[in-house]
Amino acid sequence: MSAVATRTHAATVTPPPVVLRTPRRSPWGWLRGVAITIVALIFSLPIVWMIAAALKTNVQVMDPSVGLFFSPTLENFRNILADGEIARSMGNSLIVGVVSTVLSAVIAVPAAWAVGRFSMQRTGSIVLVARIVPAVSLLVPWYYLFAQIGLVGTYTVLILSHMFVSVPLILWIMIGFFEGLPVELEEAARTDGLTAFGAFWRIALPLAAPGTATASVLAFIFSWNNFMFALILADEDTKTMPVTLFNFISYASTDWGGLMAAAALMTVPVVLAAVFGQKYLVAGLTAGATKG
Amino acid sequence: MSLIRPPTRELVTARAGGITSAALSRRSFGKLFVAAAGAVAGATALSACAPRTGAPGPDAPLRVMAINHVWSQAISEYFPEFEDLIGRRVTMQMLTADQLSNSYNVKLNASASDIDVMMVRALQEQLLFARNGWLADLTGRTEDADYDWLDFQQAPRDRSITRGEVLSVPVVTERPALYYRKDLVEDFGGAPQTLDDLLSMSLELADRKNSFFGYVGRGQRSGAVTQWSSFLYSHGGDFTLEDGSSGIGTPEALAAYEYYGRLLKETGPPGVTNMSLEQAMPIFAQGKAAFYIDADAIYSNFLDPGISTVQDTVGFAPFPAGPAGSKPHNIPSWSLGINTFSRLQDDAWAFVRWASSPEMVARLQAEGIPGARQSAWSDPATLASFPADLAESMRLNAENGIGHDRPEVIQVGRARDIVGRPLVAGILGQDVAPVARDADTEFAEFLVRDNRQQEF
Amino acid sequence: MPRTFEQANRRLKWTMLAPALGFVALMIVFPLVFTLNLSFTDAFGAVNADNNYIGIQNYIDALTDMRRFWPAAWRTIVFTVGAVTLEVVLGLALAMLMRKAFKGMRWVRTALMIPLLATPVAIGILWLLILDPTNGIANHLLGFVGIPPQEFLGSVSQSLPTLMLIDVWQWTPMMTLLLLAGLTTLPEEPEEAARVDGASSWQRFRHIIVPMLWTTLLTALVLRAVDALKTFDILYATKGPGGGSNFEVETLNVYAYGLTFDYQEYGLASAVLVLFTLFIIGVVVLLRLRPGRKSA
Repeated sequence: MSAVATRTHAATVTPPPVVLRTPRRSPWGWLRGVAITIVALIFSLPIVWMIAAALKTNVQVMDPSVGLFFSPTLENFRNILADGEIARSMGNSLIVGVVSTVLSAVIAVPAAWAVGRFSMQRTGSIVLVARIVPAVSLLVPWYYLFAQIGLVGTYTVLILSHMFVSVPLILWIMIGFFEGLPVELEEAARTDGLTAFGAFWRIALPLAAPGTATASVLAFIFSWNNFMFALILADEDTKTMPVTLFNFISYASTDWGGLMAAAALMTVPVVLAAVFGQKYLVAGLTAGATKG
Repeated sequence: MSLIRPPTRELVTARAGGITSAALSRRSFGKLFVAAAGAVAGATALSACAPRTGAPGPDAPLRVMAINHVWSQAISEYFPEFEDLIGRRVTMQMLTADQLSNSYNVKLNASASDIDVMMVRALQEQLLFARNGWLADLTGRTEDADYDWLDFQQAPRDRSITRGEVLSVPVVTERPALYYRKDLVEDFGGAPQTLDDLLSMSLELADRKNSFFGYVGRGQRSGAVTQWSSFLYSHGGDFTLEDGSSGIGTPEALAAYEYYGRLLKETGPPGVTNMSLEQAMPIFAQGKAAFYIDADAIYSNFLDPGISTVQDTVGFAPFPAGPAGSKPHNIPSWSLGINTFSRLQDDAWAFVRWASSPEMVARLQAEGIPGARQSAWSDPATLASFPADLAESMRLNAENGIGHDRPEVIQVGRARDIVGRPLVAGILGQDVAPVARDADTEFAEFLVRDNRQQEF
Repeated sequence: MPRTFEQANRRLKWTMLAPALGFVALMIVFPLVFTLNLSFTDAFGAVNADNNYIGIQNYIDALTDMRRFWPAAWRTIVFTVGAVTLEVVLGLALAMLMRKAFKGMRWVRTALMIPLLATPVAIGILWLLILDPTNGIANHLLGFVGIPPQEFLGSVSQSLPTLMLIDVWQWTPMMTLLLLAGLTTLPEEPEEAARVDGASSWQRFRHIIVPMLWTTLLTALVLRAVDALKTFDILYATKGPGGGSNFEVETLNVYAYGLTFDYQEYGLASAVLVLFTLFIIGVVVLLRLRPGRKSA
């Protein structure tokens, strides 16, 4: 949406001159430690509560005095895994997430390179209009359109709708990334006889691999979490995990234990991705620091 | 529904640094790129190659869209039986009521054929769907003598017919039941018989400081309307008058609004204006309220030790009498219809017929799901599964029952939002009269417009 | 960028851009035309039923509707301004707090990423459970410190502020991570110079850091504002259709959704969606019309 802002921002970004200081052992440092701990707790405790609820019986979930001290039961997980539905939905989420992300990367990465290398921000920002339009205004027409060509309920239509989210996302990240790459490398390759496309293919693309990976992980997570498109466009055989969560909310009652267990199962891969991504982040930071 | 969360710029820029060459060699990355692209293109082409046009083959499933309800769960246990019968797989998608309704609206707007059997609320969606031409006419099919259409109770049967055509078949019926705590009403000589008793006993039993409530019920504007309807009728009112004009400005309606508001405001739980069935039920099930009025079809929740702490103390009573007597609603809450655009009309009917056959209704009723067939209700064997006081309350409520629990209009959603406003005002402790007057004006305008839309 | 490089590749750049541009255009053009067209009709019940063109009547109806439209517009603004302001302030404070490396940084950053990446539907349901007025842990904990139970999402007056705080919980981490990235790229010299000149830490923050961080801050602000205006999942998951019993959290997005799916008023709903989209574009333009911009 704001490709221009992205560019101006990106220009200020690389390389990060990080100065590592050992924290001073002053009362302020101690206070800072406490403050950071509290902040980390505030942001993570609700998720801890989710996991705790997943390990409780339904009566315990509704009794706040149980708190975090109870004998955990795996009953909820056993129940939800016993019927194959969760596994099937997870599989569907995985298929839709992976395919839509890969396809999005295939079309968005070259586009980002073009925008970044040839200063086509204005054109590029057309793609980012997709961010502004409220999804409510897309559902009815999309369904109408896809029903005419017989695609409703197939993976294809789910993948296309998720790509509508992923393409602008990957494009947006990668524009900044390509702008951050020194153009001289590609120029040198061209004087060595490579075509412009060859320069992209042989030089820019491999250099952009880590950025592509990061953007793809994020795109996958947003596909994994998407609820509204799957609710309308999927059917019983292709429905994804967020829709399946609502299986636990029935006409009269909510199976809180089962719901929280399913939510926890859904969140685990994402948390793992965050932990995993963090590793790269730290590596990238230190590498930048040693280089500069 | 925020489409994209902006990524953390940090992730991107940080990694422009040094780990590039270590991660992937140029050549292998290029190969990976091509391989991935190829695989994806292939997969897409493959799935796009099987468009759903023409008559579905024998492998295509019969698709049922249903509410996540005990009925749907119970019937799905018997699917193998039916699949053997027609030689086709059945898939059932279970959603919450709102999601189900939304899905119909999106899908059928596009004349979608990927729904065969639709679970609908005769009183909520049927008129609109009939106007849109989305429900297949079942009149001819119901005339089958073995099916015995006249065995369905009169009130639910009437609601299944729009403009002389049978558009749905009722499978679950509902009346309100008064759920109460037997251990707590002993001193009062049993369950309240009148609404006045209900209020005074609730006031007495409520101990709100210690999170114990006299009465819990739905307080959410739209969700509460159906339960409030019984209070309205028992005060002598109705949503519309004989001539079809607004009935919510009458003194009877005002009295019902004020009574309901007072009951929940003075004896109910905090946050009750955010409560519909799903939120109110657990409060009673957790033993935190003395009384609860809601659909009788949900009684089994209170007997389930996995959810309820009151399975030994819960009692069931008929709807208490108001100034105009005990006038609960008695409605077909969920029915089965067939999508006009389905390409499996015959199989869809075979399913509806099977699921609502005298045998199946008797079987499900014996499992505790109240159906709509007279034959099942007069069979003592099917009633044996209900607690005796509940069966008696159901019988009485059905006898006194009124066949609708919400305004009978096309735009039911909007109508519920309008007539629910004074009810919320009452719970919030505002002066109900002016809000009711305002809602009455709005409802009158609404009815004029809605009537115009009914010319189809 | 050298001119030759640019000229030689005029064809190539369009080839590279075409698939992405074409895809997004294909997906969006039909909905836009469809919605615009419907907004001038009296479509009701079904989109393909007999509609009549009624000119701008739907727009007039929406803009003169004091019962639902304007209160919803007002709530949209209150929610966005309130939540985003808090997110920027807290995000900046946290970024400053975490600016210098510390032990366990990695885990704190991971913790910050969780609200951002967890499934919104699950988050909404989770907060309903935590904030349940009778059975929730939040009131139980408040009880320990002597605060009487609150109704939170069950109350007409507390719902919008509560949801703003949930939004703050969910999105402050993003602000923090963005600003943290911005902070690490700032040159050290101006701040060191100011320190030598005896500027207090607040003065350094106010006059050195904030101005240097301004571009990042504005970018983050625009991005966040657009998403906040469109907030839906969490409002719908916690308060249901119509934004609660007194319409207390009914924003324009929730209203448009209700008009479409609960009322089937496709004509009016489309007009509201068009107005809403124009409103978002207006906000973006407004936020980006700032002095000292290099390009527009």
